[in-house]
Formats: sequence, C-alpha cells, structure tokens
Amino acid sequence: MKRKAILASALVAGGAVFTMAMAQEEQLPTHLKELLELGMHPGHAFIDEGKDYYHSIKGANGKTCASCHGQDGEKLQGAYAKMPRYYKDLDRVADIDTRIKGCMTKYMGFDAKDKKFKKDFDKKWRVPLATYVASLSNGQAISVQLDDPQEKEMYKYGEQLWYMRVGARDFSCGICHTVLAGKRIRLQGLPDPVKNKLYTHWPAYRFGSDRMWTMEDRVRSCFKAYFLYTKQWDEKKDWVKKPPAHSDWVIALELYMKHAANGATIEVPGLLR
Amino acid sequence: MKKFLFTGVILGTGLLVACQPAAQQAEAPKAEEKKLSAKEKFEIALANQDKYQKACSNPNQLVPEGIDLETFKKEMLATVKFPEGGVVGKDIAKGEKLFGDPKKGGKSRRGNCYACHCGDPQIIACGNIGPSLRGYGKRGIDPKDTYIRIYNSWAVNPCSVMPRLGYHGVLKPEEIADIVAYMHDPNSPLNK
Repeated sequence: MKRKAILASALVAGGAVFTMAMAQEEQLPTHLKELLELGMHPGHAFIDEGKDYYHSIKGANGKTCASCHGQDGEKLQGAYAKMPRYYKDLDRVADIDTRIKGCMTKYMGFDAKDKKFKKDFDKKWRVPLATYVASLSNGQAISVQLDDPQEKEMYKYGEQLWYMRVGARDFSCGICHTVLAGKRIRLQGLPDPVKNKLYTHWPAYRFGSDRMWTMEDRVRSCFKAYFLYTKQWDEKKDWVKKPPAHSDWVIALELYMKHAANGATIEVPGLLR
Repeated sequence: MKKFLFTGVILGTGLLVACQPAAQQAEAPKAEEKKLSAKEKFEIALANQDKYQKACSNPNQLVPEGIDLETFKKEMLATVKFPEGGVVGKDIAKGEKLFGDPKKGGKSRRGNCYACHCGDPQIIACGNIGPSLRGYGKRGIDPKDTYIRIYNSWAVNPCSVMPRLGYHGVLKPEEIADIVAYMHDPNSPLNK
C-alpha cells in the first residue's frame, strides 16, 4: 500500500529525464516509454522508500542507518561504485545486500537469527535500501578494485563459475550471456553483461514482474530458472536449486560482472523487461 | 511386520545401488538422513558436474585442446539408450506437446524446443539459437540421427549449447521417440 502511495507521488513529482540504452528502450511498452519521456521512472518509488527506511528503521540500540552514514546518506556517496569489496569488519567480500545486512546486525543491534528481522529484511527493507544506497552513486564510474587477496580469489572464482557448465541442461552463465549473446530465447534477447558493462543499471526495476531486483535476485533467479541440477528428472523436485542469498557464489559472480563494468557510469535504477 | 520391513530395506538398497549414476552416489545417503540446506543443495549441484561438462567449462565453451573429439563423441554415443519400440514413436500428438504445446503458444517445460528453434509456422515466438526446424522431415535425415541428437547432442556436436535431454533424464527414451515421430511425420505442421 505504502509503496503504491510513494509510487504515485513519485510519478506526480517527476524527476530527471532518463536516458536509456537504445536496445532497452525498444523492449519497453509504450506507456513506460511515455512515462520515461516525462521523466518518471517506477523505480524511483523504491529509492524514496529506501530513503525513508534509511532514516526511520531503528535497531535495538536506537541507531538508524543515518546515525553512522549521515543525513541523506552523505557519507555513502560513491560507496556502491566500489562494491562488492572486502570489508574488514565483516571479514569477507560483500555485495550491497550483504553489506546492509551486516550493518544492521553488527551496528544497529538486530539479531541475525531473529525471525521477524529476517522476514522484514528480506521482504521489506533489503531491496529499497539497496536501491537507495546504490542511487547515491549515480553519475559515478564503477571502480571495483581487486586489491585484497580475498577479492582476487573471489574474482577468479566468479570467472570460473561464469563458465562452469552444470545441471541437467548443461548450461553455464556464459552459454547464454557470452556465447549466445545477441541471439534470442524465444523473443527475449540475450544481453552480454560482461562485454556491455550492463551492471551500471542494477538494481533494476523489471516491469515484467513489477518488482525491483538487486543483482543478487537476478543471479539467483537465473540459477532457479535455467539450471536443473539432479539427473533424475522430477518437475517439482528437481527444477529449482538456487544458491543461498549472500553466499559467496552469488557475490563472486557479481564481482566478476561488476569488475568487467569498471569505468562505466552508474545509472540506478535501471528499467528492464 | 518385521519381515516386511526387512524386504523393504533390501529392495530399497538394491534399487539405490542399481539406479544411482556414479555422480549421484555421494548425495544419496545424505538426502535420507536430513533435510538439506540450500547451501548443501547448491554444493551438491555443483559437485554433480560430470567430466564432460567440466571439459566444456572454458571461456570458449568448446572442447579444449588435448581432448580427442572422436573419443568424446564415441563416449557420448555409448550413453544413448534406445526405446524398445524403435526410434520413431507412435504418439505423435504427445511428441508435439513435448516439442512445444501449440495450445500454450509452443511452451513446454520438457522439450521446450521453441526456446531455441523455430518449427510450426504458427508459433511465432521461437528462438534463433538453433537452426530452424521447418521442413525438417523433408531433409532426408535418418530418424535415428534425430533421436541421437536429442538424446545426447554431444555425441554429434561436443559441448554444443543444446542440452543433453535424454542423457540427463529430462526426457525418457519413449518421449524422445514421440518427438522424433512428430518431426518426421509428413503431416506434421513442421513439414507442411
């Protein structure tokens, strides 16, 4: 309900005119094209919602995101351009979803095992917050550095995973997004996120499912939809196996793709089918 | 009662040993002990990668140098199991459904051929990854070769992007035979 209200206000308020890549624009339905021409973007509702959470969510110790990162995220500008990267306090390479969860459990006093927190984080807070924080780096160039040995290792693993053919369909990420890039699965074009630096517009609003997706959602959903894992085929049981959220597998792939997008300008939120 | 249980156990173990492909043996006992976590499931999924998939897992997604193509093909061909009734099945309507149900816009969660191939001219939403299959039955292709290609495309074209549908059990031999029948039938919309 709230999201709808925000969406409406965002649409009324309008925003900067959005320039999108031609290839994407061609896929957009007419009403969305018109909205974009008026400077309205459905994803902006998520930014507003995230900004709201950024200032309002209080942990057990009374801290909000703003307590550490400043009013309106002033200390977070450009942070997303360097993610995923190694964080000393978390002692791991983290992407934006993982970093935000780490902040909430480590510094705001949320209990990572608390069921209500888990639900709130996954279903309500994660995507808007990630979108908001990402949008604070708009206009900046992606600059993922592989300085830390853990980052280097993760990058290598990400590249390996990209080309790793597994499952009952013998697919890898690279089959569709490197080898077959430019072709169509049915009528859906296959982009090459590595060569074309498509990480710039993630998190993205996907009008097909009417949802905002972070790259974690995208990667996990790819595994869910296109890889089948067990050899004994059973449509219900064997269809879906996706890597857990915040797992190294997901982050490694994100790191691989985002490193490839180095130098390109961040433009969040994206708009996709 | 005890006897019944006992037979059950024996039967169960026998089935397990007989049916498990080598790659899955590690997974079977675990699955019975407890419900697996998402992490464990994914680990198993990655560990299930077979040696042929491993060979194809390089940036070119092709057979790397040092692996003999002919041996690769021969080994893949050896995995192809043929149905008792021959490679051309009888149930053409079923074959069509598995290929892509025209009533559902050519969709099918099994064969899903239209994802990559065009076929029935009525189905416009077809991919351009594989060659068009329009008029396939008129090309003089041996149905046996069609069957092998669907069962295990790597027996013909190693590391091809086409899934090895029979090899992985996504389609049963009889089901592939029905698809072959649909593709070669002169009255099929593919060949009209």
